Amino acid sequence: MTGDDFLLTDWGLYVHIPFCQARCTYCDFNTVTHMGVEDHQRYMDALILEWERATLPTGRLISVFFGGGTPSLVDPILIGQFIAAVRARVTDFDARVEVTLEANPGTVTRETFRTLRRVGINRLSIGAQAMQESHLKALNRIHGVPDIHRAVTDARAAGFENVSLDAIYGLPSQSFAEWQETLTELLDLNPDHLSLYRLQVEEGTPLADGVRRGTLVMPDDDRMADMADFAAVTLEASGLEHYEIANWARKGFASQHNQLYWTLNSYLGLGAGAHSYHEGRRWWNYRGVRRYVESQHSGDSARDDDEVLSPMEQMREYMWLGLRRQRGVSRERFQNKFEENLDQIFAETIGELTQLGLVESYDGILRLTSRGSDLANTVFRQFMA
Amino acid sequence: MEPERIRNFSIIAHIDHGKSTLADRLIESTGALTHREMTEQVLDSMDLERERGITIKAQAVRLDYEYDGQRMEMNLIDTPGHVDFTYEVSRALQACEGALLVVDAAQGVQAQTLANLYMALEHDLAIIPVINKIDLPNADPDRVIEELVEIGLDGTEAILVSAKQGIGIEAVLRAVVQRVPSPKGDAKAPLRALIFDSRFDSYKGVLVYIRVIDGEVKVGDAVRFMATQKEFVVTEMGVFRPHLTAIDHLSSGEVGYFAAAIKTVQDTRVGDTVTSAQRPAPEALPGYRRAQSMVFSGLYPVDSQDYGRLREALEKLQLNDASLTFEPETSVALGFGFRAGFLGLLHLEVIQERLEREYALSLITTAPNVVYQVTGVDGTIHRVDNPALMPTPGEIVTIEEPMVDASIITPTDFIGAVMELCQERRGIFRDLSYMDPKRAMIQYRLPLGEIMYDFFDQLKSRTRGYASFDYQLAGLEAADLVRMDILLNGQIVDALSVIVHRDRAYYRGKALAEKLRELIPRQMFEVPIQAAIGSRVVARETVRAMRKDVLSKCYGGDITRKRKLLEKQKEGKKRMKSVGNVEIPQEAFMAILRVDDPS
Repeated sequence: MTGDDFLLTDWGLYVHIPFCQARCTYCDFNTVTHMGVEDHQRYMDALILEWERATLPTGRLISVFFGGGTPSLVDPILIGQFIAAVRARVTDFDARVEVTLEANPGTVTRETFRTLRRVGINRLSIGAQAMQESHLKALNRIHGVPDIHRAVTDARAAGFENVSLDAIYGLPSQSFAEWQETLTELLDLNPDHLSLYRLQVEEGTPLADGVRRGTLVMPDDDRMADMADFAAVTLEASGLEHYEIANWARKGFASQHNQLYWTLNSYLGLGAGAHSYHEGRRWWNYRGVRRYVESQHSGDSARDDDEVLSPMEQMREYMWLGLRRQRGVSRERFQNKFEENLDQIFAETIGELTQLGLVESYDGILRLTSRGSDLANTVFRQFMA
Repeated sequence: MEPERIRNFSIIAHIDHGKSTLADRLIESTGALTHREMTEQVLDSMDLERERGITIKAQAVRLDYEYDGQRMEMNLIDTPGHVDFTYEVSRALQACEGALLVVDAAQGVQAQTLANLYMALEHDLAIIPVINKIDLPNADPDRVIEELVEIGLDGTEAILVSAKQGIGIEAVLRAVVQRVPSPKGDAKAPLRALIFDSRFDSYKGVLVYIRVIDGEVKVGDAVRFMATQKEFVVTEMGVFRPHLTAIDHLSSGEVGYFAAAIKTVQDTRVGDTVTSAQRPAPEALPGYRRAQSMVFSGLYPVDSQDYGRLREALEKLQLNDASLTFEPETSVALGFGFRAGFLGLLHLEVIQERLEREYALSLITTAPNVVYQVTGVDGTIHRVDNPALMPTPGEIVTIEEPMVDASIITPTDFIGAVMELCQERRGIFRDLSYMDPKRAMIQYRLPLGEIMYDFFDQLKSRTRGYASFDYQLAGLEAADLVRMDILLNGQIVDALSVIVHRDRAYYRGKALAEKLRELIPRQMFEVPIQAAIGSRVVARETVRAMRKDVLSKCYGGDITRKRKLLEKQKEGKKRMKSVGNVEIPQEAFMAILRVDDPS
C-alpha cells in the first residue's frame, strides 16, 4: 500500500477508548481513570450502538484504529464484539484491513495478545515512551522497562507481524545519552514501525505545572533539535523509512490509519470526543464519557458540534496535512480530488516556499525539502488563511 | 460671597500618603455628598487614576462648612500627584491661599513632600501640616513632628489624623478656616481669573476651571484669554459640589468653572489669565508658560490599517489634554505613525494605556527619548525629538540635553548605593544633608534622558524601597552625545536608534544587542544584530537560525486543534513588524527600557 496512494473513497474508522489506569503527567487527551469493568461494558455497548446507527461512507473501509486512552485496558472479548459488529455491516471486510490497537505494556499478557489477535486485531501500537525507569516513573507511566521488552516478545509470540512502538523525546532533564539509549533499545526490539514525538507541554497538565514552578526543566530547543536529528539519522541507518514527520516504518509497514488523515480521506470517529470527517464536513462527539454513553443508550446523537469547510478551506487543509508525508502532495491526486490545479490555486505560496528552499517539486509531486521538514510549521502556516 | 468667608486650599503629599482619602473625608463630613454617594476617592474620576492611585487632572470642589454659626465657602483644589505635572501643580497652588501638607505617620517626610512644600512656599501659601494614618501600628507621629521641625515647619501646629477612620477631620476643617487667609483681590478691578485646568465635555465644550482674582464674571460676559488672545461668550458657569451645579456669576476670591462653546482645550492653556473682552486688565497674572513636552515617543499602529483610527483617537485625547502633542512621522521599520510629545513618562504611559483601552488600538511604542538641542556647523539651532533624525557628527557643533535637579531622600544606610546609581547615570553631585540621624537628602544634577531608563525602579531596588525621589527641570547642558543605530541583518532599524553618551555607548550597545537577541525569535536564517555609531560597530550578537519548527502529535483525528494552533501562530506573526526579512516582535522596540545598566 505504500507504493500507491489511497483511492479517494477509501475510509477509516477511529474508535476512542478513554479509559486509563493512571493519567500520564503530559497527557491532555480525553481520558478517564478509576472506571470499573461494568463501565467498560456499557461504554463498549454504546460504541456498538453508535456504529450501528452511523451512516457509512460508500467506499472501502481500509483501517480500524482503537486509540485512547488505553484500549488494552478493556477486555479483548469486548474489542472482539465490536469488530464483529463492524464485520456485520462491512461486507468486503477482509484481512487486508489494518486493525490497530494501542497497548500499554503495563496492561497486557501473552494471553491478552493471543485473544486480541484471534478477534481480529492485526497491528499493535505499543507505548514505550522511554527506556529508563526514572523517566517512566516521572511521567507517571504504569509500566517499567522490562514490561516493554516482555510486551514486544509476547506480541510476536501471539502472532503479531505488525508491531509499532511509540517514544517521546525532550523529556524533563532528559540527557542526550538517555535518548540515544532509548533509541538503541527500541531498535533492538525490531519494531516494524516507530513513532517519535517531541514532548509537548500542554496547559493544565501536571507537566505544565512542574515546568511553571521550575521543578521540571525542559531541554532547550537546541537539545531537542539534536535529539530529533540524531533519531532521524539512526532510524534511517537501520533501514526504517521516514515516511511522515513523526513516523518511520519498514518497507510496506507504513500506518494506513494516520495517512488517511493526511490525505483528507473520510474517517468515522466513534466514542467520547471522537472526530469524524466526510466530504468537507467535520463533526465531533461530546467529550464527557458519561454523557456519551447515556446518549447512545437513549438513542440520541452524541454529536457535540460540526464545521463545514469551503472548497478553498479543504484545499488549504489538504496541503498542510499532505505535506506531512515524505511523498508529499501529488498534483494529479489534487486535480482528481478538487478538480483544480494545485499550482494555480497556490501559485504565490508555492513560489515563495520554493524560493526559501522549503518545498520542492519532483515528479508530479510537491514535497518538503529536508530543511522544510525541520521547519514544517513555517510551511504549514503559509497555507493558513 | 464676601471674601472673608471664602477659603481656597489644596492638599499636597507624597504619593500614597493618603491625599485622596483625606479629600474624600472632607467632602463627606461637610455633606457635599452623602456617605452612600461616595465612591472611594471621589476626586480621581478617571478609571486610570483610581487604578494607579494617582491624580492626573486637577479638580475643585466647593464645600459648605458651618464655623461658629457662619457659613463658610471652602474650595478644595486637588492637584495632580506626579512630577510630570509639576507645572499644573504650581498653577493649582497659585489658585489657593493655603495647603494641607499630608505626611504619612509611618513613612515620614519624603522627597515629594519636600518638593511640594517648597512649591507651596514659593506661592506664599499658609501650610497646615497633617500627620495622616495615625491608626497604623507602626505610626510614629513624634518622629514625624521632629522631621517637620527639621524642614522648617512648626511641629506643634501639626494635626493628627486618620482619614481612613475619620479621626481629626473636624480639626482639619477648623484649621483651614483659622489658618488659611481669606482671598485678597480687587472686586472692582477688571476681571482677572487664573485657569488652573480644563476638560472637555462633549455637550458643553471645554469646561474652564478658574480662580477669580480680581473683578467678577457672569453668564453672558464676553471673555478673553490673554495668552491665546481668543475671545468667547460665557454660556454657563458653576461650581463642583462635587457634581456640577450651575450658578450665575463668580466673583473675586471664588473658584468654579465656565463653559463658552470652546471646541478645544488648546485654547485654554493652564496658567493663562481670563479677562473681560470689554474691559480688559492691563496685565496678565504672573507665572504663565506654555506646557512643554519633555519626553517623545513614536506611536505606531500594529496593523497599518489602524493609522486613521490612531489619529482620531489622539485628536480626541488632545481635546482634553493640552499638553499632548503629536505629528505624523514615518519609519522604515514601522510604517506610518506619530511622534508624540508628553510631559513625562507617566503622562506617556497614561496616554498609551488610554489609546489601547478606550480606543482598542494595538500599538507599538518606541523607546521614549528627550528632546535635544543641536547646534549645527552652519550656526543653526534645532530641536531633535527623534534619535533617528539626529544629524551626523560632522554636521554638529554641540548637542545639549535637558537636565534635572533631583532630590533623593534615603535612609543613611543606602547613601552609597544611591550615589553609585546617580554616578552611573552621569549625575553631578550637589549636596548631601541629614534630615535626622537616620535619613539623608542627596541632591544631584542628572540628565533627564538618564532617569527615563528604569532609574526609579533601580533606586527602589537598591534602597529596598525606602528612598523617595523628586526632581525639577534645570535647563540644558552640552554633553558628548552620539547616535547609536541598531542593525538587523545589516539593515538599520530606524525605530531602534538611540542617543547615548559616547563613554557609555559600548556598554549600552552591548546590553541592547543582548536584550534584542533574547527578544527576537529565531528565524529561518541567522540574524546578526549590530550596534553601531556611524560605521563603527560597537557590539554584535547573533540570533541563530531556527532549527526545528515542527508539531508532531496527532490528536486522534482532531485536525481542528492542529489548525487552531497554526492559525494562532500565524496571527502572532502578523503582530510582528518585518524589517528586511527579519520579524521583530513589539516588545523589541521597547527593549532599551529594560536594559540593565552595568554596575
